[in-house]
Amino acid sequence: MENYLNLLYNIFIVDDRYMLLVNGLIFTLGVTFVAAVIGIILGMLLSIMMIADLRPFKSIKSQKLAFLRNFNPVAKIALVYITVIRGTPTVVQLFILANVIFIGSLKNTPIFVTASLAFGLNSAAYVAEIIRAGIQGLDKGQLEAARALGMSYKLSMRVVVIPQAVKKIMPALVSEFIVLLKETSVVSMIGGVDLTFAAKSIISVTYRAAEPWIVVALIYLALITIFTYFMRKIEKRLRESD
Amino acid sequence: MIKISNLHKSFGDLHVLKGIDLQVNQGDIIAIIGPSGSGKSTLLHCINKLEEPTVGHIFIDNEDIMSPECNINAVRQKVGMVFQHFNLFPHKKVIENITLAPILVKKVPEMYALQMAEKLLKKVGLEEKADVYPSKLSGGQKQRIAIARALAMEPEVILFDEPTSALDPEMIKEVLDVMKDLAKEGMTMLIVTHEMGFAKNVANRLLFMDGGKIVEDTDPKTFFENPKSERAKEFLDKVLNK
Repeated sequence: MENYLNLLYNIFIVDDRYMLLVNGLIFTLGVTFVAAVIGIILGMLLSIMMIADLRPFKSIKSQKLAFLRNFNPVAKIALVYITVIRGTPTVVQLFILANVIFIGSLKNTPIFVTASLAFGLNSAAYVAEIIRAGIQGLDKGQLEAARALGMSYKLSMRVVVIPQAVKKIMPALVSEFIVLLKETSVVSMIGGVDLTFAAKSIISVTYRAAEPWIVVALIYLALITIFTYFMRKIEKRLRESD
Repeated sequence: MIKISNLHKSFGDLHVLKGIDLQVNQGDIIAIIGPSGSGKSTLLHCINKLEEPTVGHIFIDNEDIMSPECNINAVRQKVGMVFQHFNLFPHKKVIENITLAPILVKKVPEMYALQMAEKLLKKVGLEEKADVYPSKLSGGQKQRIAIARALAMEPEVILFDEPTSALDPEMIKEVLDVMKDLAKEGMTMLIVTHEMGFAKNVANRLLFMDGGKIVEDTDPKTFFENPKSERAKEFLDKVLNK
């Protein structure tokens, strides 16, 4: 037992190697947080693009051009974006951003920025679908009732539709951010110094693989357990009216 | 107060309303009956433009709601609506359901809106339910609250879209009683219903619709005792001798 504690001491404490984990944790959390913010903002924007009924040629009279009446370019753009993002692996997107797009004068962009952007752009597509499904999945009668009372579309969305949609969306959104947190573990492939990078670094000098990986796994597990705990509390409060 | 001329409504290739002409006068209590798919509900939804009419004109207090200059939100304040599935706002307490539109749309001071809501709750016999959420109410109670919510906007006319069709049989009466009271007070009402007894005893006019047209527009007594059209006879035979 004492021997094993000694071993752990050698693996994690000597030469302040635990600092690798601490810094890795900060990097992982930082990338996840920035990516989540990008994901939510861009995701909301994309979902609005899909929901808003923007058909510029709606009132076209010509029968020849009738097919343009239902043409909604804004929604199309959002749809293409989501299809591309969801249709390709995150790691591939990460490599493309780092090695194909961020080159030349952008070559010196910090990896933190590249990674946050890559995961944020990726997450946005999933968030957009979650929000869209939440809003469109809401009983159509809710919007009808609000509009029938004389509320404008905007007001109806703000006080009737969105508050209910948020409640429905929360669990799926929480899942999405759990996935996001774990997905950032591939960031060391483009040189990110996250938790998995820390594990690899420790392994390369101590030649012990089991302990670093298990510790990293426990850190992820702890993070997600804490996050889930607080989200459950929030959800419970939102469910008050059910 | 409502004048409809040559109203058509198509959903894609489906031609639902095929030329409706109708004049509604102040104090009219109009029961609209007919087989399902005859366009009764669609007609109601067109009157407050929850459905966009395809062709035709609808005048409410001499304002053409089909005109691009028409402010439909202002018109809808004059036209209340009660839905088959109630469409109460589940995230708002009963009292908030009633005061929401008066406060946000009509800009009624909150104090006054609350007083009015309490009065309306008393009117529908549910003053003790002010602070509960709709999920705690029975179907009949929900519909009575929905009527109170419509009344809170002080509309000139109320559209009832099958108000008792989603109710358990023992709850139908409590809703019809509230509607009878409204009728006595002189409220103008258009009621799509399958309650033949109610149509006969409370309405002063009866519209029989079939195939997207108004087939008969007469007083209820004449209609039930002496229907003119073959289709009305068939319909009555089916619903009265089941």
